[in-house]
Amino acid sequence: MNLCGYYPESINEGEGLRASIFISGCRHRCKGCFSPATWNFNYGEPFTLQRQNEIISEIAGNPLLSGISLLGGDPFFSAAEVGSFLDRLYEQAGEVNTWIYTGYTYEELTADPLAAEYALLRRCHVLVDGRFEETLRDTSLRYCGSSNQRLIDIPASLASGQVVLWQPAITF
Amino acid sequence: MALLQPTYEANEHLLREMIAVGEDIIDSKDLDLIRENANLNGESFSGKMSKLGSEYAKWYAKHFIMPKSVVRAIEDNYVYVHDLDQYAIGTTNCIFIPFDKLLGGGFNTGNGSVRPPNSIMTAMALVAIIFQSQQNAQYGGVSASKIDHDLAPYVAKSFSKYFRKGLAYFEEEDGVQPEDIRMSNFELQLRYPKSYRYALKETEIETLQGAESLIHNLNTMSSRAGGQIPFTSINYGTCTSPEGQMVIDALLTTTMQGLGSGETPIFPIQIFKCKQGVNQSPKDPNYALFLKAAECSAKRLYPNFANLDAPLNLQYYNPSDPDSEFATMGCRTRVLSDRFGRNKLSGKGNLSFNTLNLVKLGIEYGTALGKRKKADEQGFYHALDHYLDIALDGLLHRFDIQRRQKAKASDFMMREGVWEGGEQLAPDEPVGDLLKHGSLSLGFIGVAECMKALYGRHHGEDEQVYGKALQLISYMRAYCDRKSDELDLNITLFATPAEGLSGKFTKRDRQYYGSLPGITDREYYTNSFHIPVYYEIQAARKIELEARFHDLCNAGAISYIELNGNARSNPAAFLSIVQYALSQQVSYFSINHPIDRCSACGYEGIIGSICPSCGSHEEDVHIRRLRRVTGYLTGDFQTRFNSAKQAEVRDRVKHTP
Repeated sequence: MNLCGYYPESINEGEGLRASIFISGCRHRCKGCFSPATWNFNYGEPFTLQRQNEIISEIAGNPLLSGISLLGGDPFFSAAEVGSFLDRLYEQAGEVNTWIYTGYTYEELTADPLAAEYALLRRCHVLVDGRFEETLRDTSLRYCGSSNQRLIDIPASLASGQVVLWQPAITF
Repeated sequence: MALLQPTYEANEHLLREMIAVGEDIIDSKDLDLIRENANLNGESFSGKMSKLGSEYAKWYAKHFIMPKSVVRAIEDNYVYVHDLDQYAIGTTNCIFIPFDKLLGGGFNTGNGSVRPPNSIMTAMALVAIIFQSQQNAQYGGVSASKIDHDLAPYVAKSFSKYFRKGLAYFEEEDGVQPEDIRMSNFELQLRYPKSYRYALKETEIETLQGAESLIHNLNTMSSRAGGQIPFTSINYGTCTSPEGQMVIDALLTTTMQGLGSGETPIFPIQIFKCKQGVNQSPKDPNYALFLKAAECSAKRLYPNFANLDAPLNLQYYNPSDPDSEFATMGCRTRVLSDRFGRNKLSGKGNLSFNTLNLVKLGIEYGTALGKRKKADEQGFYHALDHYLDIALDGLLHRFDIQRRQKAKASDFMMREGVWEGGEQLAPDEPVGDLLKHGSLSLGFIGVAECMKALYGRHHGEDEQVYGKALQLISYMRAYCDRKSDELDLNITLFATPAEGLSGKFTKRDRQYYGSLPGITDREYYTNSFHIPVYYEIQAARKIELEARFHDLCNAGAISYIELNGNARSNPAAFLSIVQYALSQQVSYFSINHPIDRCSACGYEGIIGSICPSCGSHEEDVHIRRLRRVTGYLTGDFQTRFNSAKQAEVRDRVKHTP
């Protein structure tokens, strides 16, 4: 698994101040993708255990973070590895609020409860789902790029068996 | 010195100097001279006119008025005397205006007298007039320390007026006593529902209109020479009466709406006063207004946030006197404490301040020049003492000139008692002892570069160096406290808001010492004790490191966090950063984030080279890029900032990419 980007503090990829972690590799190949270079699984630097630990301790030591965001690429193409990264993170920093971005839909990810993708989904809190549709691009949207994409409250959706949209904690 | 050598050569030299000053201004040759102050359009006729006066006044003060030691220290680049053009004539710096007093009793601008207002609309219009009149009596900022408390009585007057109108219209007349007509009177609401609802709605509309006119006025009146808009600041946030809350709400609403075509207002600088139990948690009466202030700040770069709970400020806090609440002059000036007992704000201000070039001292006694392996701390502190004494001598000498000025020289300020007690003076009487309630401040710039020069690392990079930096600023504060006692004056330590100064020291130090990496290799020195803008550091860490300096700088300090990304769309992030800074005892705080505006379609947000809304390119259409400099905003940093400040803006590292 490679890391193709890391912002220790960001306000652009989810509510609050978040550490944004970009995992290389994506096969959705959306037209108009803002970073096609990251489709390549070998792009970026190897996300070694050592690098993971560095990032984990930065996250644990930053009192201002509301959580983390996992992006890519698409982290679901490396579901098992990303899942173990989250396990290590939660073990050391407590359960951290996690947003995860994907080109898959919620329905696709929940189709097989035994799959690694489902296991990863279960560990996260907000899913930004759906492919980037160039024709639906809208710069006024918060935290996503095209209007087909949804911000889904994962625990509430899994509990109720249907998609529950995420609601912001504070609105202006 | 000219006076000591009245030779033909010396006179010729003086004459040539004076002629060159004029030519530079008239031909706009020296852009940095012209853009020294971003609020002044130095390329306009009135700007040039004022520059001519100002440059001559500086030249005159240096050659004929000031103590030689101070002139020498300026020439040797150790000390900077702010607003030197005002030195010889004895003008004072800034003030908190007692709006309650001026509005409540009426006032005279010099050309005519004004009655106390009977409605919030008129009161807000008069606030602008008072600001304008006072601005002409001073060279620095003019501020309202508690505009919500000051204006609340006029909201009440408007409400009462509308309520009585309502009683007649809706025929609810039922012998109501005038003193019972209050917005907070619940019974009134029950007994006269129509009149109450009507009065409330009309009062709301009028307050909003009043706020709109106030903000428009304060952005359009070019009362200062050079087409400058008065440096106005308004502080608010703690008034919990429904009238006061209405004032705060209206100011925020109208600020968010923006000026005529929706653009961000530059003035007044707004400061929201944060106080636990008043507006900091969901159960507090003004919490909703705090959230709204954060929203406004995310859209418009202010309000900034003043921390009434920081120990430095809390010690003077008296819940029954809003004038004892810490407020600022926008740029950061703090004048709360007074050794003569006036531990409140309105009716006094800062008198003047001089800034020390810590970097030059660092270079001379540190390792930067390769002359020694270890910093000569003893030599450094010895030289520091020497220049602190000289800078203080300059303040005292100037104070003596200020004291000797007649009351009529600062006509509005004294006659109307804007400076407390001034109203008791005859026009020809010197202001004298009245000024002792103001502060004389010693400031500093470039702690970061100073540490780098002394020890090879700055205070954000190294725990030990951080300790040294803290020790240095504590030392300077102790000096100020000691001198306050010795001289029986308010001598305070200032984290200088360096605008014109930010590049001046640097330019000359570089000429002298060459380009030293991390010290003189940029166009500017880092402001006060700030962690350098170009240094990558987490937001929380920057706040923690800078917080401890706030308590030491009793003449004022500010900390900033830079945000990249659209702050407007992530309120949670914005709020958590503000509240973290408050929790760390930062006294005065704000978040910088880019606000760009496309002049083709009016879109505001982050604009790269192409407007995301209409697709215009920056080469074809002007993109106005609003940034903050030394606490204030300017229309467009690329056309108004001096080169040092432009370089600083380019270097600012975003704490959130």
